[in-house]
Amino acid sequence: MGARSGEYGSLRRVDGIGAPFFVLGLPLFLSACSGRQSALDVAGEDAAAISLLFWVMFGAACLLWVAMNGLFFFLSRIRPGQFPDRYVQPLLIGGGILLPTVLLAALLVWGLGLLPDQRAPGDGLRIKVTGEQWWWRVEYWPEGAEAPVVTANEIRMPVGERVEFLLGADKVIHSFWIPALGGKMDMFPGRETRVSLRAERTGVFRGQCAEFCGASHAWMAFETVVMEPDTFDAWLEAEAGDALMPVEGAATRGAALFLSQGCGACHTIRGTEAVGQVGPDLTHVGGRLSLGAGRMGVSTAGFTRWIGHTEALKPEVQMPSYDFLSTEELDDLAQYLVGLK
Amino acid sequence: MSEDRQKTRDGEVEEFAEEQASLWRITLSPLAWAAHFVICYGLVALSCAKGLPVESVRQGLIVFSVVVLALIGWIGWRAWRQWDVRETGDYLNQQGKAEDRHRFLGHAAFLLSIISFIGVVFVSLPLLLLEGCG
Ligand code: HEC
Ligand SMILES: [Cu+2]
Repeated sequence: MGARSGEYGSLRRVDGIGAPFFVLGLPLFLSACSGRQSALDVAGEDAAAISLLFWVMFGAACLLWVAMNGLFFFLSRIRPGQFPDRYVQPLLIGGGILLPTVLLAALLVWGLGLLPDQRAPGDGLRIKVTGEQWWWRVEYWPEGAEAPVVTANEIRMPVGERVEFLLGADKVIHSFWIPALGGKMDMFPGRETRVSLRAERTGVFRGQCAEFCGASHAWMAFETVVMEPDTFDAWLEAEAGDALMPVEGAATRGAALFLSQGCGACHTIRGTEAVGQVGPDLTHVGGRLSLGAGRMGVSTAGFTRWIGHTEALKPEVQMPSYDFLSTEELDDLAQYLVGLK
Repeated sequence: MSEDRQKTRDGEVEEFAEEQASLWRITLSPLAWAAHFVICYGLVALSCAKGLPVESVRQGLIVFSVVVLALIGWIGWRAWRQWDVRETGDYLNQQGKAEDRHRFLGHAAFLLSIISFIGVVFVSLPLLLLEGCG
């Protein structure tokens, strides 16, 4: 916001009661346009198409607003009195029927024309995402793959390639949305929907569930990392591998606790006895950018908080809070998990 | 109903009987629009859910849309003649006489046909611009 404070200097002379609100509100308003979860801070081809449509509509709406209010002002203040009869009919038919019909038809054709692109076939990589309450099950299917690379709560994709997302849901409807990259697409139980996205620059962008799905809907997010294709390939290869074995004391104790506390009934850590399917795959959880589907950052402190206060952090979450574990035990678990890069 | 243009002024009773048909006629265009809407949405949803050949359904519905548009166009044309504003020069027909009722119903049916026509065009556009089930 600081960088934008110059922008209201020229607006100081706006009169009337609305002015202070306008002047104070504008930087707030504008600051919402940039950022890693903004449809207006475009990072992908599909988002670019949508934001162009948005700006054209916004510009036209401003024009219309000025024209209507200008006309009203003109007729009520500058030239009040009888409106000449001969203008009534053209104004009603032209402005009331023809203009809106043509404009709406044009917008409809434009908008509908964008839809096929959002489902265009990809360049090879397909990512299957399943919406769960309240996290994301993720499977990477590179071209020709026979088994997927399974992970969760984060999307990584190569820049400049069209990636196809195959979307589904477990129990209730969710919606998959990475505003900086493209439009949203609903996820339904028992039905596969598709959206394809092509990122145009590398970076980290936030995705968010965009369909109310229960108590922790607002906490159902994820990070999207757009990488150079080489880096992506290397990452995917590492992601496909088994979990790293813990080496030092605390992490080794954590690994044992993980199994003895029954975490493995719900979570998979490949290369160990933990093969649960209820919750997110944790094989490389320490390498993620966020913990608990965008709930917080990945750190030892983060893991301790998550495991000890799960239900406080995410209302109605399926994972029980392990608040009965001692601080040392929580710390051991955290040391183990944070090391799973 | 063919005596629409026949300016019958000989008795309210006869005129009113005809006006019932005309009253019914003003609902025709919106009804066609509604039916078209339900059939399009229903059929596409059904064929996508049941795995029917959606491409043939789409093409069939495009033809169906053209037929519905022609129907609404025809109803609108009949209504325009019933209104007969060019002949009478009377836009509003406010007199409350039998003829005014007759013309007013034509006027209403004409405007309803326009909005229904636009509605059907808007509902049909996805058929032209989108393919498959998504
Ligand atoms: C009853 C099943 C269940 C058990 C038992 C369970 N979890 Fe979970 N866990 C889940 C679910 C479900 C989630 C996803 C919660 C959400 O984000 O909505 C989760 C999420 C997590 C996450 C965050 C994963 C990510 O991708 O950010 C971690 C870490 C985790 N659990 C660790 C543990 C540990 C450690 C234990 C044992 C002490 C454990 N869990 C026991 C079900 C379980
Ligand atoms: Cu949701």
